Amino acid sequence: MALTDREFWAVIHGLVLGTVFLLAFPAGLVGLWSLKSRYLTTAGVQERMPRLLIGGWIMAIVAWLTVLTGTWIVYPWYRATPPEGLTDLTSYPRSLLLSSPNTELWHKFGMEWKEHVAWISPMLATAVAFVILYYGVQLVNRPEMRRPLLILFTLAFGAAGIAGLFGAFITKAAPIY
Amino acid sequence: MYANEQQTDAVTKPNGPAAAAVLAAGIGSFVLGLFVTLNEMSTEIHDFLDFSKNYGIGSGVGPLSGKVILAVGAYLLSWIVLAMLWRGKEVNFRGVFMLALVLLAFGFALTFPPIFLIFAAE
Repeated sequence: MALTDREFWAVIHGLVLGTVFLLAFPAGLVGLWSLKSRYLTTAGVQERMPRLLIGGWIMAIVAWLTVLTGTWIVYPWYRATPPEGLTDLTSYPRSLLLSSPNTELWHKFGMEWKEHVAWISPMLATAVAFVILYYGVQLVNRPEMRRPLLILFTLAFGAAGIAGLFGAFITKAAPIY
Repeated sequence: MYANEQQTDAVTKPNGPAAAAVLAAGIGSFVLGLFVTLNEMSTEIHDFLDFSKNYGIGSGVGPLSGKVILAVGAYLLSWIVLAMLWRGKEVNFRGVFMLALVLLAFGFALTFPPIFLIFAAE
């Protein structure tokens, strides 16, 4: 029961950070969704704002950590070029995927989309977290902000979801050892 | 006492800084999509975007390094500039949000392989 360095970072990138992100999203979404003045007492607003703030910032920070570890630690192992003439490509996931017409779309479509779209998520999540931080309990008096924040928060989750889904499939097709 | 009874008339902070954060996210996403597409259009741009090789920022990341560094740079820079411009101001948040959504739509579209590959150099 041991992990190589590469497997360890792949787990941190995809499983640990991804799980925290998934857990933070519904907390933030529910908090924003129910942030309607007619539903809440003053005490209720004050009680839930710290939770919304923490959930929003956790999602933003985790999104940044996920794309940074993915791009600068795991991705170079994925795209490494194998030595000339090597036939066993298991340590070179991109080359392994491209070596067969049955798997090449995992790279040409899945990885090409994932590696780019993922970076939209932290920018959106940070914007939402900043607005929650900026207004604090006053956010309940800004009903025109609630729907835009919900949309941006959901788009942040969608971008990360696309990346996470393809990451899981690609790891299944060509794991990083 | 319900929040709306007590807080409806409460004065809130101006929305300029919030609008700046939202629009900056749209700008960053659009710039990302733009460089993803430009990378396909020209080998010169493709080579320029390899910041890992050209500037030693990371090892083996390839052109993705340049695309995301420039996108995040545009995001942060536009956020700073807009925050300074809109500091203490009330802006048309709906209009800003719609503009951010349009930029986001371009950002998402231009990072989608079947779309950015339309612009690929032969």
